[in-house]
Amino acid sequence: MAFLHNLGTICILIGIPFFVSGTIGLLRFPDIYTRLHALTKADNVGLGFVVLGLALQAEQWNTVARLLLIWLLVLVASSASCHLVARAALRKKIQPWSRS
Amino acid sequence: MPGKFSCISFPSTILLGRLLVRLLLFSVLWCVLAGLDWQNWIIGLPTILAATFCSLLFAPQQPCPVSFLGLLRFIPFFVNLSFWGGCDVMRRALSPAMPMNPGLVRYQVSLPEVPQQVLLINCISLLPGTISADFHEQCITIHTIDRDMPVWSTVHHLERRVAALFGIRVAGGRP
Repeated sequence: MAFLHNLGTICILIGIPFFVSGTIGLLRFPDIYTRLHALTKADNVGLGFVVLGLALQAEQWNTVARLLLIWLLVLVASSASCHLVARAALRKKIQPWSRS
Repeated sequence: MPGKFSCISFPSTILLGRLLVRLLLFSVLWCVLAGLDWQNWIIGLPTILAATFCSLLFAPQQPCPVSFLGLLRFIPFFVNLSFWGGCDVMRRALSPAMPMNPGLVRYQVSLPEVPQQVLLINCISLLPGTISADFHEQCITIHTIDRDMPVWSTVHHLERRVAALFGIRVAGGRP
């Protein structure tokens, strides 16, 4: 069990930089669309690793299932809300930032 | 309104199949959430029945069967791509030069049914470098973080995977 526990800790430690880079992207990126990229993708991978780590450390099967369910619901919620925010921005004629 | 309360118009065998699948699914979900203690079922049973009823009420008119083999192939594909999507954003966010060249791309969908299209739109937002920004008349507007990325071929590949998940083939999509 100590092996699984340590493996779980490693997974959680891998997940944290993704959350941090998602937040850095949110602060640094130039417009609403690019910020959505940072939030949806980096946070989902970060949460994936944290959930995986916690599942490896869990002692009961239904904790594992509950964690997976949380991940799945967050995946659906974040991609759907990303689409809705981007669509609202496009329909308000907010132009995407561009390099040139 | 033929679209609403569509379950009433189903043949009884399909309705029974859908009912049993949903009852099983929501029962398992309740076990996951509340544990196996039988006393929980005093609240659980009415909740499961209500959830099954609501789910049937909002079920799509056309049945969209998911292929089990397609699902087994789709999950690793999806996990792999969303992992690289996260890495891609991390690289751009942490790099001092912040390399990006954003722009909008349009993609013509050839998936026939609404549930398939919704799945495609939601998955696009988790792929490396793309988010779906609008969907109108079979055309997805995609915001890409880097116009030099092969957006069209990535989305087309994803579309074929989604089609395989539902056990169908799509002809092809246009940029």
